[in-house]
Amino acid sequence: MTGWLLLVGILTAAYLGFALLALTQARSWQRVSQTPPPANIRALGLRTLGSRTLGGLALVLSLVLCLVRDGPGFGALLWATSISIAAAAVAFTLTWGPGLLRPMAVMMTVKNRPRTR
Amino acid sequence: MGATFREAMSWLHTWSGVVLGGLLFAIFWMGTLSVFDREIDRWMMPDTRLALPAAPAPLDRIVDRIADVVPEDARRWDIRPPSEREPMLWFRYQTAEGDRIVRYLDPATGSFLADQGTLAGTRFIFPFHFNLNLSWNRIGIWLVGLAGMAMLALLVSGVVIHRKIFVDFFTFRPNKKLPRSSLDLHNLTGVLALPFHFAITLSGLIIFFTIYFPTVISTVYEGDRRAFSRDAFGIFHRDVSGQAGTLGSLDGMTAEAVRRWNGETPYYIRIWHPDDANAYVAMWHNIENKVSLSRDVLYFDGATGAVLHSHTAKPVLSVQRFIAGLHFIQFEHWILRWLYFVLGLSGCVMIATGYIYWLETRRKRHAAQGLAGVRIVEGLTVGGVTGILIATLAFFVSNRLLPLGAAFAGYERAALEVWTFYLVWLATFAHAWARPGRAWREQCGTVAGLAVLAVVLNAATTGDHLIRSLAHRHLWPVAGMDLLLLAGAAVAALTALHLARRRIAARRPAQNVLKAAE
Repeated sequence: MTGWLLLVGILTAAYLGFALLALTQARSWQRVSQTPPPANIRALGLRTLGSRTLGGLALVLSLVLCLVRDGPGFGALLWATSISIAAAAVAFTLTWGPGLLRPMAVMMTVKNRPRTR
Repeated sequence: MGATFREAMSWLHTWSGVVLGGLLFAIFWMGTLSVFDREIDRWMMPDTRLALPAAPAPLDRIVDRIADVVPEDARRWDIRPPSEREPMLWFRYQTAEGDRIVRYLDPATGSFLADQGTLAGTRFIFPFHFNLNLSWNRIGIWLVGLAGMAMLALLVSGVVIHRKIFVDFFTFRPNKKLPRSSLDLHNLTGVLALPFHFAITLSGLIIFFTIYFPTVISTVYEGDRRAFSRDAFGIFHRDVSGQAGTLGSLDGMTAEAVRRWNGETPYYIRIWHPDDANAYVAMWHNIENKVSLSRDVLYFDGATGAVLHSHTAKPVLSVQRFIAGLHFIQFEHWILRWLYFVLGLSGCVMIATGYIYWLETRRKRHAAQGLAGVRIVEGLTVGGVTGILIATLAFFVSNRLLPLGAAFAGYERAALEVWTFYLVWLATFAHAWARPGRAWREQCGTVAGLAVLAVVLNAATTGDHLIRSLAHRHLWPVAGMDLLLLAGAAVAALTALHLARRRIAARRPAQNVLKAAE
């Protein structure tokens, strides 16, 4: 049972990590939110960098979960193979159901709103 | 060849892809199937669809049964005790003439099962993956090695020539024109699964280091293969004495191995000249619970059961064994097994879409210039991609149609299945060249039909239909194969339908123009 929960965790972390990375790209952003990307994505502002760091950390988290689940040998293999599947899942989401990632885009916009005004 | 580095890499990528892509597809396809070779075995050998017994028959009883049947001058016996993926006892002996004969035994009773008359997954599909079943002068292994080296060059040059590797990282646009959408899919499968493709190709080459890189043996060991095997794999050798002997208790030797290995069991047992006074037995440590395909082994004196030699891999070989292990996946890890299967299929998609891109970007130009390139390559592609799928399915279907013990024109059942595979494959190439334009659609339709037929025939000839096979744990391999066949049939049918619609859509404007002209 723990094994299955960890597997769900590994795939979710990798999927969300790649989705965050994808949303820092102008083209993916546009597909998901149907609006032009905010300026700081185009200019690779600090928030974008933040999203990318968070995305990277999610991938590291999935590696850690792999190592916890299966130890160094199988864990490394599991990570190297499952991140490919997670990345493909993000690509297919962007193709066939970009709306599914809209909540994530909205959250990024909220964070990105300028504080003054 | 182009002037810039990228142009040079593009030239390399295009030519090695077009020339060796067909071979690479065959290797990737057979390798992907080999992930489930034991499950294919269960499907193709209905008598071996057994439940793993709680208490297997003692090895000594099995040795008695074997001794009754096998000729006394057999050089070697090999035994694989039952396991989750191979619930029967696997036995192979080598005759005095050097022929290798495989038989299966019921692990609960120790009695022989009827000859299943098929090479199935482990003896046809798996060897095809690494030697194309061409053993003459090792030409098959060398061709696969060449294709493997080309694959590494293709992966590296592919990354170099990819114009927007990060911008296009998550991009797939199936609604764009065919050259664009196929290139998207080619890039997607190539880039996202790059770690897998690279690791699996490189490890495949490293497995055969004694063949592809024989310098170690020829220089350090001055060509003495036996000395090398002794150092690397701990291979022990003892000559025949010529005097008759009696084999001691294998169960006793197993108990000693289990004791030395802290409870781990042997997964493979080999007995050299069992009827000789100098008989000796090797037991290899099981490899279910680790990635490494380790070769830790214990040698026993056949008569007394005394330990003659014990071997644990040294550091360098441990690395080689880990790399081999990650390629062979002989371990028990169902999630990784499925991930390998899916990523293997992604490799097949990468090769096929590479071909489609090549064809679609040249079709008009070749037609205008009167070049035959597209026609020749399209035939190769159709035969190489859908053709090998059809041939594989024909192999499965023939397995369910031929009765046990069937023979034709001097060929036994197992050979007839193999002939079916090759003849059908050849026919798909002929069809592809004879009917350009229609070949893709018709062959996709054939794939769908044959896959459904295989499932129906399995249910009709063995009674293990999906409802039954899903309900019994030991029939899950059969259920899995049936479900994958049905899924494959659905994908092939949808593809055929899509191609038919596109053809109608492409024709319509031309007809309208004709009507307007009238």
